Amino acid sequence: MTDRIISSSAALAEALHEEMQRDETIFIMGEDLVSHAGVFGQFKGLPEHFPGRIIDTPISEACIAGCGVGAALTGMRPIVDFHFSDFVTCGMDELCNQAAKIRYMSGGQVKLPVVFWCPDGAGLRAAAQHSQSLESWFVHMPGLKVVVPSEPSDVKGLIKSAVRDDNPVMFFQHKKLFAREGPVSEDDYLIPLGRAAVKKEGKDVTLLCYGAGYYLCEEAAEKLAGEKIDAEIVDLRTLKPLDMETIAASIAKTHRAVIVHEACLTGGFGAELAARIQDELFDELDAPVKRVGARDVPIPFSPAMEDFVLPRADDVAAAVHAVTYR
Amino acid sequence: MAQEIKIPKLGLTMTDAILASWLVPAGAQVTEDQIICAIETDKVSFEVPAPCEGLLHPVVEAGRRVEVGERVGYIAVDEAELSTLQEAVPVAGTGPAEGKSDDFCQPREKGEAGEPPVSAASAPRVEKRGGDRIVASPAARKLSQATGVELCDIEGTGPGGRIILADVEAFTEAARAERDATRYNFGSAVPETDLLTAAETVPIRGIRKIISKNMKLSLSSQAQLTLHTEASAADLKALRTVFNARLEDDHPRVSYNTIIVKATAVALRLYPMLNASVDGHQIKVWDQIHIGVAMDFGQGLVVPKIRNTDTKSILDIAGELSDLARRAEKKRLFPDELSGGTFTITNLGGWDIDHFSPIVNFPESAILGVGRIMEKPWVQEGRVIADLRIPLSLTFDHRIIDGALAAQFLKALKDRLEDTRLML
Repeated sequence: MTDRIISSSAALAEALHEEMQRDETIFIMGEDLVSHAGVFGQFKGLPEHFPGRIIDTPISEACIAGCGVGAALTGMRPIVDFHFSDFVTCGMDELCNQAAKIRYMSGGQVKLPVVFWCPDGAGLRAAAQHSQSLESWFVHMPGLKVVVPSEPSDVKGLIKSAVRDDNPVMFFQHKKLFAREGPVSEDDYLIPLGRAAVKKEGKDVTLLCYGAGYYLCEEAAEKLAGEKIDAEIVDLRTLKPLDMETIAASIAKTHRAVIVHEACLTGGFGAELAARIQDELFDELDAPVKRVGARDVPIPFSPAMEDFVLPRADDVAAAVHAVTYR
Repeated sequence: MAQEIKIPKLGLTMTDAILASWLVPAGAQVTEDQIICAIETDKVSFEVPAPCEGLLHPVVEAGRRVEVGERVGYIAVDEAELSTLQEAVPVAGTGPAEGKSDDFCQPREKGEAGEPPVSAASAPRVEKRGGDRIVASPAARKLSQATGVELCDIEGTGPGGRIILADVEAFTEAARAERDATRYNFGSAVPETDLLTAAETVPIRGIRKIISKNMKLSLSSQAQLTLHTEASAADLKALRTVFNARLEDDHPRVSYNTIIVKATAVALRLYPMLNASVDGHQIKVWDQIHIGVAMDFGQGLVVPKIRNTDTKSILDIAGELSDLARRAEKKRLFPDELSGGTFTITNLGGWDIDHFSPIVNFPESAILGVGRIMEKPWVQEGRVIADLRIPLSLTFDHRIIDGALAAQFLKALKDRLEDTRLML
């Protein structure tokens, strides 16, 4: 089957279309879904095709998350749309104390196949309360899987695996990437959770990234190629479970690593990843692991200040210069 | 106002030096021009005088490489200024380096006379940052281990002089080229022609290969020099006679070699630097004396060792030598009897050789060659007498043993052979 160039929104809608067609227990609930097909058009066509399986809810994330947990416990496969990932804070008890714990506390007697779908990220001038990247909170929470796709083809393959998984999955999609297009196969394919992708091979440095960080790395790698620095891009795609095997193979080749994410640096996923690299791959390293991320401040509303706070491709290149001693 | 202590430029080409040691404890009172620290360049050792009177506050620890003009400490005018300095710039540790030996390049201080060690109490150690620890990336360390390259030999080009992978790779390449150029190489043999044909072609392997490698390694890695002298062997002969007259029939005889081995062990105790090896950038002065004796029974040279020679009696040594020789002839020596020596004696006197220049048994640093013992005319108190003479040749590694030291050792040995009571 052939690839088409489509957006991440379209890739998501297509994937959900296929899954809902396949499995009647799948339904989506959230705010303004039926009238708008999702704030980013991500569920386009679904309300018409699957009447009654796209449910508008009151504005209460605690309620929606709780419903998702309950529905999953009774054998459904709900997808909970958080509208903006920033509002996970309102559903935190349901996410962390219920969803993350129930399978373990029931001794595995019940499954919890629920996807918490969270549009995140900055760059849309949406200010501090609608621009955060909070994935590392959930990586810290045993019992949850965490998926952060970048390209449209990853969105399609990963959301299908997330929906089919019997565990609660946090699925973060960057708002700015919804309109971003890329080749997506018409096939009904899955990308397994916990498998990273080497998206560009290189020998001088490993760029470890996910979500919007991938595009920063792609831009930086192009610039670095002009300086004869050959960067390898490893798109992690899933943060938990983490594909250390692919990471290790890449670092064993390049001996240098730069971790790139949009989330702020302190306590970000890069900190965890850097710790694992130094622990497991110490002898492979020719330089300290560098991290690139947002500055440790709330995302400003001022466009100039927002741009200043967010990581750029130049920051990635600068980190690469540092670890390659060039 | 505190004065800075800076590394002086001692020659046109001098760019840096090793700060070998601090000779005054941190915080101590010094007078102007008092020697406060010693530095070493690749050419000279130099003692740095205090620029003024005051209290010493060293800020660079001993063992580190320092640039010309680099500030290595301060002289404070009074206690108040000293404590201000101590707060602002911590005192550098001045004791010898600690830690894994392969992480340090500088030779350990041997506590030579005239070099009062600075007590740890007066100079609190600070956390090592750089200093004499080799700073290298883990990947560079791994590669250096895999390729057998010494990190000490490599100049780091990373931040703060960190040795990075590229440095090891570049060095390995250069080292390989050098090794290829100097390694024992039998490849370029003379081609056989109609006029020149080989009667026999013998493969170089086994013991011959080991000997080839060690001989070449010895001469290519050391700066060897041989000193020759001669001693009277009259007393040696008398002592041998005394021993052998009293020995049971089945006890191994005391030979000249037996007594020479013993005398050498005694002399080595007096001059321990002759009982040393070079290990990378360090001299290892051995605590034990294990003298090897070269033996050749027509099947290649072997050098079995007599462990802790200096602790053994002449009769013990006679017994061991006889046993080793018996087993060497039958090729029954154990590998650990052939390795780990600290000094070697080789005797070609049996083949009427007088003086020769033996090759040091690498990685030892000196070897004694003993020649033919024979009666010769000798002038004593204006009269020519027939004296029993023994030629002695000492080859040593001039990199670590100066000529005078080697001569003193040889003289000490000669004295003990001429008057064997000195061995007691």
